[in-house]
Amino acid sequence: MKKRLCKERTGLVFFPAFDWAISPTHPEREERLLYTRDQLFEEGIMDLPQILQLEPRLAEIKDIARVHFCVPDIEFQATKAHLIAAGSAIAIADSLMKGEIKNGFALVRPPGHHAMRVVHGNRGFCNINNEAVMVEHLRKVYGIKRLAIIDTDVHHGDGTQDIYWHDPDVLFISFHQDGRTLFPGSGFMDELGGPLAFGTTLNIPLPPGTTDEGILFVLDKLVLPVLDIFQPELVINSAGQDNHYKDPLANMNFSTQGYATLNKKLAPDIAVLEGGYSIETALPYINMGIIMAMAGIDYSNLYEPDYYKYSFKEDSKRLKILETMVEQLFEVFNKREVIQANNREKAGAFYERQRHIFYDTDGINEKQLETVKVCPSCPGYITIDSQASHGRSKNSKIYCIVIPIQACSDCQEKAREKYEKKLMDNSGDFQYIYLQDRVADNYRQYDCRKQKEIVL
Amino acid sequence: MLIGIDIGGTSTDGVLLQEGKILSSAKCLTDETDLQRSIFTIIDELTQGVEKSNITRVALSTTLVTNILATGKGDKTALVLIPGPGLNLKNMQLFPHTFIIDGASDFRGRIIEPLNEEQVKKAGKLISDAGITKAAVVGKFSPRNSEHERRAKEILLKEYPKLEITVGFEISGQLNFLRRMATAYYTAMTQEKWAKFAVSIEKALRDRGINSPVSILKADGGTMPLSISLEHPCETVFSGPAASVMGAFALTMDEETSVVVDIGGTTTDLALILQGKPLYASKGAIIEGHYTSIRSFNMLSIALGGDSAVRLAGAQVTIGPDRVGLAACFGGPIATPTDAINFLEDGELGELHLSQEALEKIAAPLGISVKELAELIVNQFVDSVEENIKKMFKAWEEEPAYKVYEVVNKRSVQLDKVVGIGGAAKAFVPLISKRLGCRSLVHSYAQVANALGAAVARPTLSLILHADTQEKYYNLNFGGISGKIPSNFNLDSAKEMAKKHLEEIMAKRGLVQFANQSEFFLEEQFNTISGYSTTGKLFDIGIQIAPGVINEFREVRS
Repeated sequence: MKKRLCKERTGLVFFPAFDWAISPTHPEREERLLYTRDQLFEEGIMDLPQILQLEPRLAEIKDIARVHFCVPDIEFQATKAHLIAAGSAIAIADSLMKGEIKNGFALVRPPGHHAMRVVHGNRGFCNINNEAVMVEHLRKVYGIKRLAIIDTDVHHGDGTQDIYWHDPDVLFISFHQDGRTLFPGSGFMDELGGPLAFGTTLNIPLPPGTTDEGILFVLDKLVLPVLDIFQPELVINSAGQDNHYKDPLANMNFSTQGYATLNKKLAPDIAVLEGGYSIETALPYINMGIIMAMAGIDYSNLYEPDYYKYSFKEDSKRLKILETMVEQLFEVFNKREVIQANNREKAGAFYERQRHIFYDTDGINEKQLETVKVCPSCPGYITIDSQASHGRSKNSKIYCIVIPIQACSDCQEKAREKYEKKLMDNSGDFQYIYLQDRVADNYRQYDCRKQKEIVL
Repeated sequence: MLIGIDIGGTSTDGVLLQEGKILSSAKCLTDETDLQRSIFTIIDELTQGVEKSNITRVALSTTLVTNILATGKGDKTALVLIPGPGLNLKNMQLFPHTFIIDGASDFRGRIIEPLNEEQVKKAGKLISDAGITKAAVVGKFSPRNSEHERRAKEILLKEYPKLEITVGFEISGQLNFLRRMATAYYTAMTQEKWAKFAVSIEKALRDRGINSPVSILKADGGTMPLSISLEHPCETVFSGPAASVMGAFALTMDEETSVVVDIGGTTTDLALILQGKPLYASKGAIIEGHYTSIRSFNMLSIALGGDSAVRLAGAQVTIGPDRVGLAACFGGPIATPTDAINFLEDGELGELHLSQEALEKIAAPLGISVKELAELIVNQFVDSVEENIKKMFKAWEEEPAYKVYEVVNKRSVQLDKVVGIGGAAKAFVPLISKRLGCRSLVHSYAQVANALGAAVARPTLSLILHADTQEKYYNLNFGGISGKIPSNFNLDSAKEMAKKHLEEIMAKRGLVQFANQSEFFLEEQFNTISGYSTTGKLFDIGIQIAPGVINEFREVRS
């Protein structure tokens, strides 16, 4: 991995959003990082010379448009709290790229890894994908080409997976509790990315009860070797904390020591907080652990009050399951380029997939038809026809076009033409038509009823 | 009549004030080996021919504690820590004679590990064997539960009754173990020497027939009675700069945003007054490289003063960072910014020809005129101050925020004026304010603003009450005060209780007349939830008497 010359400090944005909640007793509520604050403040960790505390800031609407198609618009889906969480991740990225810090942690809420490209509402407590907003900022502003996002949340990072499904330059690896036993019910081994980005999405569904030893086994035997081969310029930890043995929403056995060791070994350039709802018994310790590990501070004395009551050794049966998965996935990953080439050859002019997406928080059902231009020289432009029903009365139907940042000039042109054509037709099928032109950094949304275009 | 005295590192200043008018002022060189003598030289000069019974208050700011610590003259002190899980203190460079004891409580004040009493006893023996008579006992989360600290102190005292022990929870209730540790340690280290000083000052005043209350200025710009300072000697660090800021405050007394520029001989100190309120340092005072829980003004000191040495380095003119001696016009060896000003303003100071000669030595090799050089020096000086003022504002705007509201309503202020203090202020401050596009104020009392600040500063007190209705307790970040609360305790009861405690503390200090000047500065409430039901509430209520001036003082009259 490429190492930049920089100061030896770890950047930290701590934004607990003490005045924002989904609802008063929802797990994603004001109090979530309160005890984390108490622990960090009492430890005095922000006073240490290894830590540079950075201020949170608002992301711009355009930063969001680089990733999402928000219905009816960005302002509706991204509240100020969401803009600050995403903006804080960007603040870390900027500080890193300017060489002020050696790595950084956006300890922010609300979380984002369940937010997909199209946003009709809140899924799994997320509206805006903080990591993706940051990654697109890094690509656009700093010309970063290859990145890896390692999703260590207990829930499958289906939003981030969706956004980078067709992107061969962003490696997405998620390990999480088996989707048959936990929201969002996805993230199986056969989810490996779109045909032209095959193998740059990897999912490791962990059996419930997996321990420190099991998770670190997956890290050592799969994640780290894959990173070594992929050679990303930056590694991002989508740092959920709900693998913890005290988490009320999941069933895993990961400890603070495990989290700290994971971050020491993974050595992410940037970590962004995701889930984790054991707000008293886990979060204060895990957050300390991540900061300490990233800053190179000795974390051997950091443990939960009841740590010594449990064992974090893996049982042999689960270890066997993990060994098999790791072996199979590593094999697929190593063959990815051959498979991608095959796919490109076999596919026609367009690749198509149909999907159904459920928004648990807001009770929305979405149907998508996604097409990707199969292009010999780039990942191809993407179109999405999305229809969402919000219960009985409200329905929305939109059409989206994505020009990926690597798009060849031919695909760029075709995609832009397609957008113009859709606008001219204005068939009445859609409420909004979107163009996300990442090459030109130009984002358009056309309101079909008002016949009005917003350009960002 | 009020007496204010600022004992600075170089000189001691004093003023005698009546109804906003300075009746007399005095100045002498500070004798670091005998501060008391410096103080009484000034007092005797000020009170010559004054009826002593008319003196209603004496207030001092002093560098004594700062000096004790800087010169390593504090008492040998042991540090007994009860850190529990977290940072591994065993491998950190802390203080000599540190003992780490097992035992822990958490952020809710729950005991999560019992105190290892055997280890405390062993530490006590080692402390005693080493001939150490002072100790600080500090536990992590002790503001939320002080049981371990109290018990450790009890055990140590039982075995070694002569040991003088400072406990963390009485020193600071702010959640920051490292700062509490440093503050408790330095308190234990300086307490005895400070007490000696305080007692002798009081006695000497009484001997002179001055029977008024005696106050000491704190780093936060407020005063405390001399008797209270015995428990909190470290609060007096940096009271000198605080005196200057309070002097500027007294000279302005408005709702404007000002930057205070105190130009001394060697340094220029900057401070901010935002909409009439002096700004505090976000991380507390730094003593000997350690952050402490002592509130102090946000100050920035630049190595640039009226007497800074001006030299030629290649083709560059440098100012400072050192001072070689007096300005050339007063017989000093080298050109200084004061000489540059003196030349440009036709020699109001000392000997103009001496300024001119010193400047010529630098101007000649550069091939420019003395006037050009003088302008260059002044410009460079003003540049540097301007740049640092901007840096300070930027740092303030970049303070972390923890709420959506705070980020969205990001603070940004317009500077109204530059308030000049100190000898060279009159010449430089108008130039600085012109650069910044604002007004300037250099009051005729600017040269004695520090002593004036000490004379009129009112007492300050800042309390944070933390209440947990599920665990049914509350505590104050002050003096280790805590107690039980009923389950129907709500935000109003929390505010009422905070106010009541503030009034009681002020009454105990004999400062009841200030109790009604309090204001709430923090109101936080959180639900504690188990599963999906609310099990209690957490409150954090902050109430303070902010820096200000005493009731007798309305405004300066010159």
